[in-house]
This record gives sequence, structure tokens and C-alpha cells, in this order.
Amino acid sequence: MSSKSDATIAEEFQAYYLQRATKELAEDLDKVRSADDFKNDAIPLLIHALQQGTTMFSAEDKRRIVAGSEARAEGKGN
Amino acid sequence: MAKRSSMGGDAAGKPRKRVKVVHEAPTSEEIHTSRQLQGLLAPDQDLKKARHGLQSFKVFLDHINNGDDGHEDKREILNEYLASRKPRADDETPIYLPDIMETWSYAGQTNNDNILSAVPVVLALLLRILSQSLDQVPYGLGICRTLLRKRQQELISRNLSADKGKEFIISPTLRLLREAICFDGGAMARPIFRARNYTFKSLGRNMGIKYLGEGREDPKRPSARTNAVRFFLSALKFLHPEAKKELLSLRDIVTGLTKSIREDPPHLILETLDTLKTHVLLDEKLPREAKSKLLSANTLTRIASLYTYDDAASDAEVNRPVDEVTHAFLQIACTLPSAGVLRQQSGFYPRGTEAEDDSLLRLRSSDDVGLENVVWMNKFRDEIPVRNYVLSEFTQNLRPWSNIKQSELLVTIFKAAPELIADYFQKKRSFTFEPKLSATWIGYAALLFNAVQVDIPEFFGQSSGYSPFPPPTSIVLDNILPLPLNQKVLVRCLAQKSNLISFFVTRILVIALEKLAATLKLYQEAAGSNGALWSEGARRLVDEFCQRCPSMKDIVNSYRSIPEDNILHREAASRLLLRYYEVLPQVALIAKFDVSPFLVTCIKRLRTEQEDSSSEDRNLGLRELEHLLVIAGHSPGMRWFSKLEGLVLSPFLTLLQLLVDSRQDISSQKLLDSINFVAEEQQVVLAREGGRGLAPLVQTLQLLRKTQATEESTNNVWTFINNCVARCATAPIKYLEMMLDILGSGSKIGGQDGDVPQISPLHMALVEQIPFALKSASSDTVRQLAQFISLFLGASKAAGEDPVLLERVFSELRSHFPEVVQKKALKEFPSGADFEQRPRVTEDLRMDIDSPDSPARGNNVAAATESLDQLFDQPSEYSLDNSALQKWVNKAADEIVEEGYASSLISLLASEHTSIRKEAVTNMLKMAAKIQQSDYDEKEQSHLLLCELAETAKGNVDAAPLPNTIISFACHALDVLKNPLHTMYAKVNSFLTSGPVWKLDRLPLVHEVLQEEPSEDDQYYAELGWLLTYLLDSLRTGSDLALFHKKRVFEQLMSLAGNPYMRHNMRIQILGILYRATGIQGGSGTLMTRFGVMAWLESRQAAAAESGGGEDSVYPAMIKRVWETADQERALAWSRGGIPEILGV
Repeated sequence: MSSKSDATIAEEFQAYYLQRATKELAEDLDKVRSADDFKNDAIPLLIHALQQGTTMFSAEDKRRIVAGSEARAEGKGN
Repeated sequence: MAKRSSMGGDAAGKPRKRVKVVHEAPTSEEIHTSRQLQGLLAPDQDLKKARHGLQSFKVFLDHINNGDDGHEDKREILNEYLASRKPRADDETPIYLPDIMETWSYAGQTNNDNILSAVPVVLALLLRILSQSLDQVPYGLGICRTLLRKRQQELISRNLSADKGKEFIISPTLRLLREAICFDGGAMARPIFRARNYTFKSLGRNMGIKYLGEGREDPKRPSARTNAVRFFLSALKFLHPEAKKELLSLRDIVTGLTKSIREDPPHLILETLDTLKTHVLLDEKLPREAKSKLLSANTLTRIASLYTYDDAASDAEVNRPVDEVTHAFLQIACTLPSAGVLRQQSGFYPRGTEAEDDSLLRLRSSDDVGLENVVWMNKFRDEIPVRNYVLSEFTQNLRPWSNIKQSELLVTIFKAAPELIADYFQKKRSFTFEPKLSATWIGYAALLFNAVQVDIPEFFGQSSGYSPFPPPTSIVLDNILPLPLNQKVLVRCLAQKSNLISFFVTRILVIALEKLAATLKLYQEAAGSNGALWSEGARRLVDEFCQRCPSMKDIVNSYRSIPEDNILHREAASRLLLRYYEVLPQVALIAKFDVSPFLVTCIKRLRTEQEDSSSEDRNLGLRELEHLLVIAGHSPGMRWFSKLEGLVLSPFLTLLQLLVDSRQDISSQKLLDSINFVAEEQQVVLAREGGRGLAPLVQTLQLLRKTQATEESTNNVWTFINNCVARCATAPIKYLEMMLDILGSGSKIGGQDGDVPQISPLHMALVEQIPFALKSASSDTVRQLAQFISLFLGASKAAGEDPVLLERVFSELRSHFPEVVQKKALKEFPSGADFEQRPRVTEDLRMDIDSPDSPARGNNVAAATESLDQLFDQPSEYSLDNSALQKWVNKAADEIVEEGYASSLISLLASEHTSIRKEAVTNMLKMAAKIQQSDYDEKEQSHLLLCELAETAKGNVDAAPLPNTIISFACHALDVLKNPLHTMYAKVNSFLTSGPVWKLDRLPLVHEVLQEEPSEDDQYYAELGWLLTYLLDSLRTGSDLALFHKKRVFEQLMSLAGNPYMRHNMRIQILGILYRATGIQGGSGTLMTRFGVMAWLESRQAAAAESGGGEDSVYPAMIKRVWETADQERALAWSRGGIPEILGV
């Protein structure tokens, strides 16, 4: 069983988190886009703001969430 | 008055009028010979002619410089000309290019601007051309030296300070200077700088003559500012540190450099930033003060304005965007200590807290102090005197909420100088965090999140260890929950309809609580040396935090309003609630929050979304569930086993169902841990250290799920289990009593201690409830129930529960089933062979007997030997830490006894160094005195023990370490004294009062435990357990072994093991002591020849095989161990060959 590196897992988790957050907050994000102070350079800031929540998850948590099936095999091995 | 004089003497009297500058286009001719060139450049009173000559020369030089056709011939002509005008070698003050210099001088006298401009143009060009050829370098240097002659300096200075409008004079002069300062690798930089009164004249002003046209400046037609800046940058490149320092102290130049940097073309900005970085920031020889002269808050702010520089329309050659280069520059400038901006700071201790005046010093030595005595404790609520005032001022000018790089820069600065976090937000108090769905609010929220995430500096910013005084509470709090996050704003954010706002705030609160927890831990660590003040500081911090954070009610309301599908948000909210329980239990428990409805919602969602949701979503949902489960564990009112609205089964059973249905991954393992905890705590299943009591039931249900059963029968089985579990949880005593009844009816069943059940009480509930379940059940259900029972008992047996007792349960259960079922499904007691065995490695001797026997099921002696090592291997030497002599000194009496400081000190009596032992005795007496004077509850007994031990040791430690038996006894006795409810309390006390000195050749209390009756009737085994642990600890060296031998300890222990009522783990403890003896030189031999251990082990094996329980496999491994560690020749002779027989070899 090839286990993914922490970096790959972190990347996958980040992608998942962002996709999940945009889905959950879609309505509000639309409203923000139409706010007066929303300019082009606000987009990277917005993405950064959404993504920073990933730092609340430990590497182990991230692995558990994005690689459930892989982690299962490892868990059993232990 | 310099400007007026330049207009000529007459001009002084006339009214000032703008002089109209008429530019006549100069004429020129092509140059073919050096002689022609000489003629053209020869000084002439007719300045028109002179201009013609200079212009022709310029065109000529341009040809060469551009490398146009025939440039080589032209270069030849130039060389010839230069050679012809070269000063004589013996000339003391040689003047190079005397013709041009004379023309220049004459133009100066006659105020001819055209010539004044044309001369520097040709000289700059000429220098550039000369710099390209190595042969001509000396000539170029000669020209440079000529430029530094008095007359030329004056002309240069005059040109530089020409009217602002005369850029055509200023710019070429600056170019000329730049060529000169760069010439030959900066060979002339020093003298040029020395003549700075002329050469750097009006540089600051000239930096202000910027391009005024539309769009950006054309790089081919640089403005005076561009030329001035480039000259300055070249000077920075080539000047030595001392001169650079002086240059940077010229205020008007440094200000001029960045004043209008935002309007500069991109290439100039990049050149400026690159040069400043390489030749100022990173120049290690340049003193810090010089750098800080350049990097004032104003300069930094101006540079930071480049973050929003629009370079989209600029030339494509520059592929480094200005904002990125600016960002990199500022990051170095603001965070590199040697760059001159960042100053040393002490984190959470601002200026004014370091002065240790007399009153504070007195505080340190006094015992009864409070934080109110620390004068500065409440001083910094409105203003914080930071050491990094430049950065403090600069950061206020950033706009981190609208630009990600500025936000990043600010956070990097916060990390480098944590003192600035509180200061920044204090000054930004007016910038509110009132909820508003806008980009600015989101940007600000992101900044706050990052600021809260910045780590707490080591020792809160003190350089060497914790200060005796905790940092000002307001500052610590501002670092955990920065000022814009006050209770009012936070509550409003949480109550927002917009999920985005409440989600962001929830996340910030989660990390703030986590940071608070980390801070409190540090406070605790710091309290080690100066307890009272730090503990009070921690209390204050929590109080103030509670006043600033929202109440539980607000959090719960916000959680309730999150749509069910927003699992990311729900996970964060549930985590926030959990953090309240963990970090602020006082707040959480007052709120009387009922977690059950949330739990129900969460479980229901997880059960319904199995099919269509992604595994990530599910795992995230499981995390929410885990948080809620832990909260439920914290909530005293959680109803695990009663039916809740919305659920068919109780929450506990629903979770079990969820677990059984789920895939087996790490998430489910955590879920299992959570509900296992509940099951064990409520005594539904047998609690086991290192294992999961609930595992057999889960395994059973998982297997049962795979059988082909009707939905109805499956549901009935679940309802039955639900019923049994609920009954078991509500009245565990009843089922324990039932178990005792069954025990009573069987004569030789394990678990004779009476108080420790060896099977899960749930089995008893099954026995009680099965008749009712079978009464109205369909045949399908009956079959399914029978299958469940068969599997469950098998699994329990495989998990190590008492097989005899289980068999009895089985026959009880079986008797209620119809005969057909009895003959088929419940034909015989299940072997449990279907169930996976998971060997558990135990570290604790008192652990469950299952550990060694699981791998040994196949009579695999090798495996058992291995597990023997794991089971018994314990350090046979004390970990002697000499610092124990000191460590106790600052501790309170209760800590000394209860945290092991006393034990560590006692252990030092075994040290091989006489001085340490002696010191230990002295310290022990001091310790005893300290304890006696304290208000520790057990002070008298502890004092007595330490004094007696010291008295015993006094005469004896001079020659040799104290016997391990005595040391071990003292340590274990001290453990007993801590707890008056300990079973050995009475015996230890009567031993202590029996005499002031202990005999070294005796093993205290062995006789009292083994031969006398226990102090309480049912405490015999508990006393024995204590004794065995203490004896094991005592046996470390050959002399200990001899004492054991002499005192017949082994005989007594071995006969003790014959007691059929003794629990497995006690026997294992006895084996542990024997195992320890085999590890000592001569131990195995003694055991074999003096105590007949081989025969004893053999007989024990036979007895164990008879009673079952898997203990039997340990004995062959022990026999092997004894044989391997003994002197085999002697043993063979002694046994006359009998031993190999036992070994089976």
C-alpha cells in the first residue's frame, strides 16, 4: 500500500476544504462579490481567508478525512 | 542666492522674470581624422563654433557607443586624438582633455547653458566608451581626476544646482558623475564622495525633478530624478561602509529617494529596491544605525505604497512584478534583526516592566503577595510602550484587509516581534469588526485569524526563563483575542444570518480557545518556580477572557442555526463547544447545554447519507460526531441509554449501529473508542486496560450483519440488545449480584475475588431478558437471536473473558430456546475460534492475564518467551537523578510527597557515590523538617518515615549503598502514606511506630502481610498486590537475591502461588519476581538448586492447564528462561540429567 506523503494529503485536503467551503457559503460569497469594496485583488484574499481554516486540522486529521480508505488499511496493520 | 548669481550679475537688480530658454538645434559634422577632431574641439571664443565641435564629437562618440558601422575606425581616430592630447608624463598636475575643460570653463564664465550641458554629455559618453577598453582605463581615471580639480568641481556643482527647469544641464551632469563613480569598479568613488559638497550638491532636490508627462517615463529619456537616483544607487554600490554611513545620514537625499517612488518607472523601482537590499540591508559591515536612518517608518510606508503599484502597462522585459519585489524587500527589512528596523524586544513584557525597583524585589522574596502589588500589571490597557516603535508606526499604515501580501507582511512582523500584536490592535481599536458582508470584513477576519495563530513567544518574551511575574494580563489577552474581538461584536457576528460571518468567527474562536489552553499550560509551567503569582495570573486571564468571549448560549444558538448540510461549519461549531468544555469548563457547565438533540441530528444525517455523499464529507461528519460524543462525556446529564425523540434506539445503540454499519477505518476506530468508554464506565461491558471491552459485541454484530436475515428479525435483535444494555446501565449492581449468584453455584469458577467480574455484566442482562424476548418472537427472530448469542459468547471467550463462567451463561441462555434451536444453532458452547485475536502488549505487570497467552495459543514457546520479555522486562536499576537533591527545595510539602520528589531523593541512597548518599541523607532530614512544618495533611507520618529512613541510613551509607529492599520499601510505604484509605495504611503506620531504626537485613512487612491476618477482612489480596510490587522493586542485585534467599522469600512466594483462589495477575506478579531473579548472576542456579523451581514450574503448568484460562503457556517459557540463564553444567550434574527431560530436549 503506497501511502501518500503528508504534503500530498495536505494539498488534497486543502482542495477539498476550499471546495466544501465555497459550496456551503455560495450564497454569501455571491453577496460579497457584489459588495462595493470587492476588487480584483480581493479574490486571492478571499481564497486565502477560506483556506486558512485548514490549519486547524492536524496532519493526522487531514489524512483521516481525505484518505479514509487508505488510512483504514494502515490502521488495521497497526 | 546661488540661483540668482547663475543668471549673471545684472539679473540681481531686475525683477525676476521667467527666462525663456530657446533651444537652437546644434549643428554637427562627420569626423574622419583625429586632426579634424582636434580642430573641432580646440577652445574657441565663438561658442557657437565650440558647440558645433562638441555636438560633432557627441555624434562621433554615439557611433562608437552604439557599435554602428565603422565604429572601429572611429575608435582608432578617438584613440589617436586622446593620445595627442595626453598630458606629459612629468606634469605634476595633469589636465586631461584640456580643450574641452577650457571650453567648459569659458561657458561657465559666459553662462552658456548649451555648452554647460554639452560638455558633461560628451564626457559621460567618453567615460562610458573608455570603461569598455582595458587599455584606456588609466586615461579614463585621468579624466575623472581632472573632474575632481577645483575648477571642474565648481562647474559640476554649478551644473547640479542649475535651475529646476534646466534638466538638460542637470541630467547629463548626473550621468557624468555616475559614469565617474562606477569607472574601473568604483576606483574613484571615495574621492568623488570626499568632494560631496560639490559632487552631491542639490542631489536631494534633483531627486525631486521627476517626469511630469502622461503615462510612465520613457526609459531612453530618463528624467533628472532617474539620473539622480541612479547616481545615488551607484554610490551605494561602490562606497565603503564608513562613507555609506555618512551618505545615508544625509537626510534630504534619503527622503528624496523614496518620496515619489510610487511615480517612478518600474525598472528604476526594481533597481532601487535591489540595490538597497544588497548594499544596505544585507551589508553586514554597515552599522545598524546607518540602516535605520534609511528605513524610517516614512520610508517603509512609501515603499509599502508600491504594493498597489500598477505595472501592468509597463515594458514586458521586466518579469518581476513590483509588488512581489517590494514584498520580499519589506519582509527582509522588517524581520531581519541586522536590517536595522527590527529591535530586540521582550514579547509580552513591554517597556517599563523590566525595571526591578525595590518594591518589586521585596515582592519576590515575600511569600504573601498578590498581583495587585505589581505596579505595572494593569498599566497597559490603553497604551503599550513597545520597543519597535518604527514598526509600530509603519504597520498602522498598512492595509492588510485589502491586500493579501500586506496581510502576510504584517503577520510576519507579528511573528518577528510579538510585542506588536497587542499594540497594533490597540491602536486599530477604531477599526471595528462589526459584521458586514464585504471584502474588507473578510480580509480583516483573515488577519485576525492569522494574528491569533501566531505562537506565544518562549517564556512570554523573556530571554532566560520565566520571569517571577506573569506578563500584564491585558497584553496576554490581546494576543489571544485581539481587541476588535470584543464580546458585543462577537455575539453579533455569531447571530448573523450570514453563514460566512458566523463560520469565520467560529473558527477564530476555536483557535483563540486553543491558544488560551496553550497559554494556561505555560502559566502552569512557569508557576513551578513562582507559584502564587502565576497561578493568580492564570485565574485573571481566564476571568478576563470569559468577559471578552461570547457565552455558551450564543455559541449553541449559532450552532443550532447552521443548515444541516454545512458540515464544515458544523464541525467547527461543535469543535468550539468542545473547546469550551475543555478549556473553560466553568463556563460550559453553567450553561447546562443538552447535547442530545445535536447528537441525534448528527447521527441521523450520518445514517442517511451513507450512499450519496463522498467519503470526505462522511469523515468530516464523523469528526463532528466525535466532538459531540466527547461533549456528551463531559455533560453530567447525558442520557445515553434512554430513548430520545427522533431515534428508534437509544443514542448508545444508534452509535453502535452506526459503527457496525460503517467501514472499518480510523474514523470508526475513534468512534469505537468513544462509545467503548461509555460502555465501560457504565459497567455494561467488562472494563479492560489496554483493550476494548465493547469489542466482542461490535465484532459479533458485524458478523451478524453479514448473515442473511430478514429485516424484521434484525430489528428485533437490535431492540433486544437495546433493552438489555439499557437495563444493564441503569442497574449494574443487580447484574453483578446475579453474576455472584452464578459464581456461588459453581465451585471452581474463576474470579474468586468476588468483587471483580470476569465477564461482561451484559451477559447477565441477556440471561435475564431472553425469556421475554423469545416469548412472542417469530422463528426467524429466534434463529437470529440464537446466532447472536452463539457469536457473542464466542467473541467474549476469545477476548479473554472467563470461559467457565461464560459456559454457564451459555447453558442458562440455551435452556430458554426451543429444542430444535438447542440442537442446531446452540448445540455446543462456541469455541470463539472465529474471532481474530489481537495480542495486546502490556507494560504493566498488574495488567490482564490475556497479554501473554494470546500469541501462545498454539503452544508456541518461542512466542511466549518473547512475550515473557515484554511482560516482565523492567529496569533493574534505579534511574538515579542527582538533581533530585535540589529539585524538592522549592516545592510545597504536598508536592514533595505526591509528585515523587521524595521518592527520587530516597532512590539516591542507592547511588554508588558516597558523597551523594550522604548528601541525600542530609537533604532527607531537611525535607522531613520542611514537611513537618507545613500544613500537609499527612505530614506527621511522612516526617516519621523520612526521619527513620535517614536514621537507618546514617551509619550505613558511608560504606555502601543502602540495600534496595530498604529503599524500595521506603518508596512504596511513602506511597501508602499519601492515601489514608490505602489498605496498607494501618500496617505501615504500626511498622513506623514500632522502632526508630530499621534493620537492614530484614524485609519490612513481609511477615506482616504473608503470615498475619489482613487489617480488613477482604483486603488480603490487595495487601498481597502491594507487597509483590514492592518485592519486585527490591530485587535488583546479587545481595538482594541473597537476602531473599536468607529470608526464605522465594519459598513463601512459590507456596503462595499454589493458592487456587489467587487471581491470575497475582500469579503473574510472582512469576515476575522469579523472572527478575533469573536476570541476576546466580539467580537461576539458586532457584533451581535451592528451591526446585523447575519442578514447581512444571506442577504449576499442570495445574494451570487444568483450570484453563491460558496461563499454562507461560510456564514452559519460564522453564526455558531459567535453564538458559543458569550454569547449565552444574545444573545437569545436580539434576542428574533430569532437567533436559522437563525441557523436552
